[in-house]
Amino acid sequence: MKPTTTNSQSVNSTVGGVWRPPRLYLGSLSWLGILPFFVFSALFLIGPTLLLAYRSLEGPQGGLTLDNYRLLVTDTVVNAYGMSIRISLTSAILGGLIGFLIAWAISMGGLPRPLRSITGTFSGVASNFAGVPLAAAYIFTLGRVGVVTALFEVFGVDLYRSGFSLYSFAGLTIVYMYFQIPLMVLVILPALDGLKREWREAAENLGASPGQYWRHVALPVLIPSIMGTMILLFGNAFGAHATAYALTGGLFNLATLLIGQQISGDVLHNPGLGYAVAMGMVMIMAFSILVYSILQRRSERWLR
Amino acid sequence: MTITTAPTSVAVKEQTTRASVRKNRFWSWVIFVVGALYFLVPLAATFYWSLRAEKDTLGFEAYRRLFADANFLPSFSESIVNAVAAILISLLLIVPTAYWVTLRLPKLRQVVEFITLLPFVIPAVVLALALIRLYSRPPLLLTATYDSSRILLVCVYAALSFPYMFRAVDNGLRAMDVRALTEAAQSLGAGWPTILLQVIFPNLRVALLSGALLTFAIVIGELTIALFMAQHTLGPYMANLTRSKVYEPSAMAIVAFAITWAAMGIIQLIGRGQQGQIAGGH
Amino acid sequence: MKTRKYLFRLFSLLVLASVVLAACGPAATDAPAATEAPAGDPMTALYEAAKAEGMLTTIALPHDWCNYEGMFNGFKAKYPGIEVNELDPGAGSGEEIEAIKANKDNPGPQAPDVIDVGLAFGPSAKEEGLIQPYKVATWDDIPDSAKDAEGYWYVDYYGVLAFEVNTAEVANPPAEYADLLKPEYNGQVALSGDPLTSNAAIFSVWAAGLSTGATGEEAAQAGLEFFKQLNEAGNFVPIDGDSRTVGIGETPILIDYNYNSIANDIALAGNPDLVTSIPTKGSIAGMYVQAISAYAPHPNAAKLWMEYIYSDEGQLNYAAGFCYPIRYNVMLGAGAVPAEVSAQLPSTEGALFPTIDEINAAKAIITAGWPEVVGVEVKPLP
Repeated sequence: MKPTTTNSQSVNSTVGGVWRPPRLYLGSLSWLGILPFFVFSALFLIGPTLLLAYRSLEGPQGGLTLDNYRLLVTDTVVNAYGMSIRISLTSAILGGLIGFLIAWAISMGGLPRPLRSITGTFSGVASNFAGVPLAAAYIFTLGRVGVVTALFEVFGVDLYRSGFSLYSFAGLTIVYMYFQIPLMVLVILPALDGLKREWREAAENLGASPGQYWRHVALPVLIPSIMGTMILLFGNAFGAHATAYALTGGLFNLATLLIGQQISGDVLHNPGLGYAVAMGMVMIMAFSILVYSILQRRSERWLR
Repeated sequence: MTITTAPTSVAVKEQTTRASVRKNRFWSWVIFVVGALYFLVPLAATFYWSLRAEKDTLGFEAYRRLFADANFLPSFSESIVNAVAAILISLLLIVPTAYWVTLRLPKLRQVVEFITLLPFVIPAVVLALALIRLYSRPPLLLTATYDSSRILLVCVYAALSFPYMFRAVDNGLRAMDVRALTEAAQSLGAGWPTILLQVIFPNLRVALLSGALLTFAIVIGELTIALFMAQHTLGPYMANLTRSKVYEPSAMAIVAFAITWAAMGIIQLIGRGQQGQIAGGH
Repeated sequence: MKTRKYLFRLFSLLVLASVVLAACGPAATDAPAATEAPAGDPMTALYEAAKAEGMLTTIALPHDWCNYEGMFNGFKAKYPGIEVNELDPGAGSGEEIEAIKANKDNPGPQAPDVIDVGLAFGPSAKEEGLIQPYKVATWDDIPDSAKDAEGYWYVDYYGVLAFEVNTAEVANPPAEYADLLKPEYNGQVALSGDPLTSNAAIFSVWAAGLSTGATGEEAAQAGLEFFKQLNEAGNFVPIDGDSRTVGIGETPILIDYNYNSIANDIALAGNPDLVTSIPTKGSIAGMYVQAISAYAPHPNAAKLWMEYIYSDEGQLNYAAGFCYPIRYNVMLGAGAVPAEVSAQLPSTEGALFPTIDEINAAKAIITAGWPEVVGVEVKPLP
C-alpha cells in the first residue's frame, strides 16, 4: 500500500495498488539459468579436459604411469613452456596497449563516426586472419622476398643482413599482434562505451586535467575489463599453433608445437608426453587466472 | 554543474577544452593511421601476389581458377551456416550465464571464468581427439553420420567461442548498471524472460556484436577439429589449397576476407537496426 | 518486440544467404556415369561387397602426390557406387596412425579405411594391432624386402630425394649437397618439413650426411653437422617448404622427393620455371607402404582399393605421377609399361634403399640431435 511517487508507472503495474518488493532470492531459478551452460561445458569442454588428464597418465603400453610428467622437467619441455609464456605475455601486453589506444581513438578520440564501425568490422575479420594465410601474408610482406623488405632495400637498408628475421621471436610477435590487437579492440569497446560523458564533464568542472581524469576516474573503472581482456589475449597466444607452425616449421620451441610433434608427428610419437605437456598448459592457464582474479579483486577495491 | 565565479575563466576553460579536443583528435588520427598501415600492408602484399598467377602479367587468373573449383563455394557456405548456428547457441548460453553470475551468483564467477577460458588451454589437436574418443561410441554416438558429426562440430564451436563471448558480455554488463535495471524492470512486474529479452539483450547490443563477430571469425577459419570430424568446411579447403597451389591461396585469402567482411557488415547492420539504448545514455 | 525483429531479420538473411550461396556454388563433383565392371572381372564379388558398404575413407593422399588424383578418378570410374571420402590430405604418417587409434570404435566417416605411411611405420603399426592383413592378386610381384610376409603392409611406390629449384631466383642451380653450402645460396635452402616430425625431412638430413661419404649411423650424425654448417652460414631457411614457398621465391631451393618437384614444375607451367636435380652423391630412396586399418568401417571397400592400386592400371597411375611403382620391374619385363612413361621416370642409380632397421637408427639419431646440434637460437627482442 505504499505508493511510489517517483515512478508513476509502477502504480499501473501493481495489482490493486499493492507494491510488490523485488524478488531477489537465491532460489532454484538462478541455478536453472546457469544449468544449460554447465551441461554444455561438461559435454564439450570439461569432459575432454578430463579425458586429456586421464590420457596424460597413460603409458605406451596402456597402464597408468607418471612417467610422462617426469619428462616435463627436461630441458626441451621447460624451454618450450618458457618460450610460449614469453611470447604470450609480450603479445598480450603490447597487443593490449595498442588495441586499447586504437579502441580509444575510434570511440572517444573524435574521429568520424563511420570509422568506428569500419574498424569494428575489420577487427572481427582480422582476428580470424590467423594460421597459414597470416603467415603467408607476412612472408609476402617481411619475408626475404617481401614487399616491405624490398622497400627497405630501396632506402639502402638490408633487413636480413642486419640481423632481423621474420623467423624469430620478434618476427613471431609482430605476426601475433595481427590477431591480438583486433581482439583487444573488439572486446574492450563495450567497456569504453561505459565511460559516461558526464563523468568527464564533472571532472573537468572540478578542475581536473585530462591526465588526472584518466588516472583517477577512467582507468580505475576500466582496469578490471582491461585486465580481463589481457588474460584473454594471453590465452589466445598461448594456445596458438597454426600460425607459429606455418612461420617457424617447428624450429621454434613452443609448447603447442611440442604437443603437435608428439601426437601427430611422423617421428617422435609419444602421445602420452603430448598430453602431459597439454595438462601442464592447463595448469599454467589456471595459475594465470588465479593471478588475474587476485589482481582484479584488488583493483575493484580501488573503485570503492 | 558548478559555476565558476569569474566569467573570463569560463572562456579560458572552454578554450583549453577545445584545444585538448583538437589535440585528442590529432593523436587519434596518428594512432589510426599507423594502425591502418600495420593491418593493410600485409593484405596489400597478399593481394599483389594473388595477381601474379599469369607469368609476367598482373591479372585475376588466380581468382578465376578459384571460383572454377567445384569445392570452393559449397565449403564456404557450409562454414557460414555453421558459424551462424554457433553464434546463436553461444549467445543463448552465455548471456543468461554472465547475467546470473554478475547478479546472483558472484561466488561462481571464478569457476565460470575458468571454464570459459578452457578452450585456450586445450590444444585443438587434443580437443579433437578427445571429442572423437568421447562421441564415437554409444551411449553418446554422435559421429555416425556426416550430419550428426556436423551438429557436434557446431556445438564445439559454440564452446570455443565462450572465452570471447563471455569477456565481451561481461565487459558490456559492467558498463551498464545491471542491478538497477533489473530492479526497475522487476518493479514494473517483468518476469525473467522479459527482463532478459527486453532489458538485458538490447543493452548488450555492442557487446553481443563483438562476441558474434569473433565467433564468426573463429568458425570460418577453424581447421583442426573440422579435419578430424571429416567435415568439408572452409578451413580444410584452404589448408589443402595452400599445400598444393602457389597463387590461388592468396586469392583465397582475399576472397575469404572480403566475404567475411560482407557477412560481418550484415551482422552489424542487423544489430544497428534501431538507434538508442534504454538506459545509460552515452 | 525490437529483439524479435532483429532475430527475424537475422534468420531470414541467414536463410537467404545460404540459399543464394548454395545455388551459386556449382555442384560438387559427382561420380561419373555408372558403367558396369567389365564382365569376367574376378573382383566382382569383392566389388559387390564394397558397393554394399558404400564408402571408402582414405587419409593423407594429396591429389598432386604421385598422381593420386588420377588414382582416385580411375578408381571411381572403374568401381562406381562407392563414395570416396578423403580425410586430411596433409596428414603425416604419425597422424594417420593416430587417426586409426582415435577412431577404433567409430563407424562414422572419420575413421580411415586405408593408410599410406612411411616404410618404418608398417611394422610398428602391425605390432600395435592397428592394421589387418590382405594379400592382393599381384602379391607375388612385390619384392620380399618390400613387404610383410603375412600381408599386413607392403610398399606401393618409391622415389628419390632431389633439389627443387626456382630458376627465377637461383641463376645457377646446385647439383650436389656440398654445393648448398656455397655463399651464393644464402638464405635459400629449405627442408620440406620439420625433421622432428617429417619423414621426408629426416631423409633429407640423412642424405646430406651420406653425401659426405659417411655410411650407416655416422651418416646421420654427419647430416646433423651438415645442417649445422648450413644454418650457421645463413643458407638455411627454417620454414616448412612446399611448392608455394618455392614458387614465391621464399625457399627457392627445396629438398623434396623428385616426384613432388616434377609435379610442381608442371603445375606452375613456367610461372616461375623450376628445375629438378637429383644429386648423385647421397641419393636416397623413400618408400611408402599401404595397409588396411584393423578397425576399418568399410573393409571390403578397402580391399578393393588395394586391389586397384596394385593392379597394372593403378601402378601406372603412380608412374604417371613420376613415382616408381613397386611392381615396376615385373611390369617392365612383361611389357606393361609404355615407353613414354618409363622415359620420364628419373634414374635411381646409386640410390640407397634403406632397410627398416637402418631407418629407425637414423631417425633416432637425427631427432635426438636436431634441437641441440642445429636448433634455432632465440634472438632477444631488439
